[in-house]
Order: sequence, then C-alpha cells, then structure tokens
Amino acid sequence: MIFRIFRKELLDTLRDRRTLMTMLVIPILVFPITLNVFMEVSNSFQESASAKTMKIGIVGDKSQSYTQQLEAIPAAIGPKKIIVFKDSAALRAAIETDEIQLGLLIPANEKQLGAQQQTITLNWLLDASELGRAERAELYAASLKANAEAERLQKLGLRPEQIRPLVVNTVNCASDKKMVGQLAGGFLPYIFIAFGFIGCMYPAIDLFTGEKERGTIETLLTVPISRWKILIGKMLVVVSSGMLAASCALMGLFISIEFLDLADNKELLEVIHSILTPYFILSMFALLLPLVIFFAGLMIPIAIYAKSFKEAQSIITPLNIVVVLPSMVGFFPGVALDINTVFIPVINVVLATKELIADTLSWGYFLSVFGIMCGLAFLAIAISYKQFGKETNILN
Amino acid sequence: MISVQNLHKTFALTKQQRKELNTEAKTATAVSDLSFSCQPGRIYSLLGPNGAGKTTTLRMLATLITPTSGKITINGINALEQAQEARKHIGFLTGSTGLYARLTPLEIIDYFADLYQVAPKEREERKAYLFDLLNMNDFLHKRIGKLSTGMKQKVSICRTMIHDPSVVIFDEPTSGLDVITAENIIKLIRSCKDQGKTVIFSSHIMSEVDLLCDDLAIIHKGQLKFNDTMSAFRANMVTNNLTEEFIRIVQMPTPLA
Repeated sequence: MIFRIFRKELLDTLRDRRTLMTMLVIPILVFPITLNVFMEVSNSFQESASAKTMKIGIVGDKSQSYTQQLEAIPAAIGPKKIIVFKDSAALRAAIETDEIQLGLLIPANEKQLGAQQQTITLNWLLDASELGRAERAELYAASLKANAEAERLQKLGLRPEQIRPLVVNTVNCASDKKMVGQLAGGFLPYIFIAFGFIGCMYPAIDLFTGEKERGTIETLLTVPISRWKILIGKMLVVVSSGMLAASCALMGLFISIEFLDLADNKELLEVIHSILTPYFILSMFALLLPLVIFFAGLMIPIAIYAKSFKEAQSIITPLNIVVVLPSMVGFFPGVALDINTVFIPVINVVLATKELIADTLSWGYFLSVFGIMCGLAFLAIAISYKQFGKETNILN
Repeated sequence: MISVQNLHKTFALTKQQRKELNTEAKTATAVSDLSFSCQPGRIYSLLGPNGAGKTTTLRMLATLITPTSGKITINGINALEQAQEARKHIGFLTGSTGLYARLTPLEIIDYFADLYQVAPKEREERKAYLFDLLNMNDFLHKRIGKLSTGMKQKVSICRTMIHDPSVVIFDEPTSGLDVITAENIIKLIRSCKDQGKTVIFSSHIMSEVDLLCDDLAIIHKGQLKFNDTMSAFRANMVTNNLTEEFIRIVQMPTPLA
C-alpha cells in the first residue's frame, strides 16, 4: 500500500511543472548552461584582449634600446605599437585617457646604472582593472629581463649556471585523485546537498501543505490505511525528488565536463574518469541518501504545520541557507573528518565525500557517518510521524 | 448503523487563539456529551448554526479526529479501538472536499479503490455502475483542474461510493454548490437511503433537512438540543414554520433531549 501511495504521489508530483523544473530541468541544465556561458564569456574576453593592439608608451630617446627589444618580441603574444613620449607626465596622462595601454618608465640614470653594473628598475604603468594588461606587461618584462641578464653575463664572461648554484624543485607525492579530492572535492558534495535540499522542498510543501490547502487531506485520512503508511508513501516521493534533483545536477556537471570541453586537460579528465567508478558512486549515494531523508524529515513537519504554501515556503527557504551553508566547509583546506566533525550533520557528509574522492576515506569513518546520518534520518521520520498524527496540524 | 455515546471533544487553545477568543481558558469544548444513533435505511440529519460542532462530530464519526471521551460504534465496530476496520464501512463527503487537480477522474477513482482494497471484479462493476449513474464517461480522462464544479462534485461522489460503504457521512455536502449540482447530492442521499445504507448529514439549512431527513438532531454550542424523528419535530412545533422552530430550539437554555 505504501508503494501505491508513492506511485500516485509521484505521478501527481511529476505533473507539477514547478516541481519538475526544480527537480529535473534546472539541475540538469544549470551547469552546462552557466559553465558554458562563463567559459564563452571568459574566452571571448581573452581572445579580444590578446587580439587587441597594445599601445606601449616609452619616454624619450634614451628608450631606443628598449624600443628595439620590445619590437623584437614575437607578435604571437599579441599585436603592439610603440609610441615615444616626451616626458613621464604625458605618459601617465595617456594611460589615464587610455590613449596607450602600457607605459614603460625608464630611470634617467639607466645608462650610468648599466655601466656600473647596478640594478636598473623599470616601472610599467598600466590600468590593472582592465583585463589582460598586467599579464601582457609581465610577458614583455620577462623578455626585457632575460635580455638584460644575458647581456650582463656576457660582459662578465659568465655562464648562467655559474651564478645559479642551486635549483630547488618541489615534487608532489600526492596522487592525482588526492589532489582533485582536496582542491575540488568540496564542490561535489556541495552540489549534491544544495540540489538535494531544493529538490525536496517543493514536493514536501505540495504533498503536505498543498494537500491541506486543496482540501484533499480529509479524504485521504478517511481511507482504511494507517497514517504512517501514508506518511512514508509521501516521504518516499520527497526523498526521491531530492535524490533525483541532486543526481540530475551531477549528471549536468558530468555532461559539462565530458562534452563541453570544460576540462580540456587530458590528465585531469583521466583522473575524473578514474574517480567516477561504480564503487565511488554507490558509496556517495550511501552517504547522501540518509542526508536527503534527514532533509525531508526537517521539511515535512514544517509543511504539515504550515497553513498555506506561502507560509511553508517562507519557513523552509531560510532553512535552506542554514543547511546548505555548512556544506561549503568542504571548500576550506585543512578541515578534515575527525572524531569531532564526524558528529556534525551535513559537514560530516561533505568531508567524508571529499575523502572518498581523494580515496582516503577509512571504513570506520564511512560507517560512522552513515550510521550517524541514518540515526538522524530515523529521528526526522519520527518527528514527521508525530506531527502528521496531530489532528490540529493536519486539519488546520 | 452508527451509535454514539457521551461524545466529548475539547481542543487545546494556543495563545493566539485565546487572544482572539478573548478567554483565559486553555481549552475549548467543541462537543459535549453527545449521544444518538443512526439506523440503516434512514437519513439522520445534524442541524445547527455555524460553529455548533457539526463538523467536529462528523469528523469524529469518520475517525479523522479522536474524541476526548465517549464511544462511537460503526456497524458494531468500536471506531476508536478499530479505526481502520471502521473506515472500511464509511464513505465521507464534505462540501469543501478537494480533488487532485493534476489527476484524471479515472486515476482518482482507481487510487481510492486501491486504498479501500476493493477486489478487481467488484471495482470494475462499481466503476461501470457509478460512471453510468453519474454520467461521467465523457470526462473520465480529463484532468480534474479542467473540469466544472458539477463534474468535480460527481467525481467526489464516485470516490465516496467506490467501495460501496454501508455508512455514509455527508458534512454540509451542498455548501457552495449551485442548485443543479446540489441536486446530484440530494439524489445520492436518497439513493443511499433506498439501498438501506445508514446516512448522516449535517446542514444549517432547514429546508434541505426538511426535504431529506427521517431523524433530526439539533446541535448548538456542542450540545444536543433536540434528538427525535422529523415527524415528532413537526408534531411538536410551537411556531409557524420549521426555520422559526429551529431558531426557538437553538435559543432554549437547556437541552430538550
């Protein structure tokens, strides 16, 4: 009988456009669309920035050697045009009016410093708020620096390695999976939790508050079925909606990575593929299912208590922030699953999922998080049942 | 058959409700010491002004809410101890009954037939009978949200009767309906009586009660003011018409029966 109630409620829910949007359409499309738009905009900015002719201002005749060096830099970095200015004030003014995009200030005693083998300080003038200018200045500066170093070493009759006795390299021993787990591992549970919560929200309100508002609850409660069966049948739909929304969001993210070239790094793609094994997916769902039941158990008593859709929405929406914000803890480095964090709902699931991605989650912690979340889910069901049994709640 | 003994129902008042009602009392009595019985093949009417306790009484009979004290028996089944068993015998229809707007009439009827565990063969027979009787065949596959009030009312009736209940409870069934739609309900109540079912319905309209009922109870402020046959009510009238007599009884300080 629970399944019969579930079947009817699911059919009813799937015919609700609003729920369908939050459960299927938005989660599937949000990542491909937003990430694609983001990438397109970012690429187009970069392209236009690199295609744009960079006007570089230099002061006076003393700049001749630098002008030549800049001219010699390959155009692959981006087109450029050198303009000579009379003084530094005119150079600054030209930067401010965007007449030129980069200005090179050379010290007046540059030749003297060079002759004395002193350090020459060059200053780039630029508007750093404009995209791509600082990067272009760095590239030009690197070229000028390399030229100056080579010239001075030649004068001194030295080879580069003679003045660089030590080179220190850092070798990362962490596996690629661990790196991905640490750097991006917080993102996956965050998506799942955020969409799991949103996915539960509308069905919970519709199946409980909506039923009161539409006047169908009286009819339903007069059938010879116990209330806990009705509650569980409805709750299953709420949980399924949450899981479906979260799964759709992940699917959308996967489509974005796989087909929209968001991760064009081949090695990174291989790591992502090696993470997404059936074992990982099953383990992640095992951690997230009790969490979504817990969400449903938080929302259902509110939905039962509320007298109108609006009232339920006004209580549950702020709850969204309270529940989803802790899931952002996964983004912070250094926060790990331990004897304290394992007891904090939401955070424990985020950290466990992060470790699951990094392949460092122990069975002990996995079972602890699963057990704690199952306990909380059971408690949430019990509270929902108590609320559903209150005649003043269900009949307004 | 319905038997009610010393039925009592109080509700706890919230702070807000106490403020609204301007009272210090922590509880409000909705129904006090009600006792009556409804016989098969007869129509029992619960008449009373708004807020008299009619809906609370009928909700207790339908096992939607639990009495504070008292006893309810439905066809010999103790409705408080065996609520689920009692519900199998009850059909409950109210004037404010809603339907699932996104489902079709056929889906709703099948759903309730499943919930009442109506056997497949009996279900098909009942569906065919009720669809023909209520002239529903033309809109069985349309969504409820697209139906007229009259059509929706027919679906509600069909849902109430799909499991062929022997006890039918109507709570202000014609409330808010136009005369043609209300006529369907009147016909249904009469048809239930003809089939030997136990029928109880509540109303605050004397003319509707006069049209249908065999036995009459007048309820006011949760207390029974009159409980006898309709013919006894007519025979003992001291005013010129039924409505005036109803008002007179309601305003009497102590219960008559």
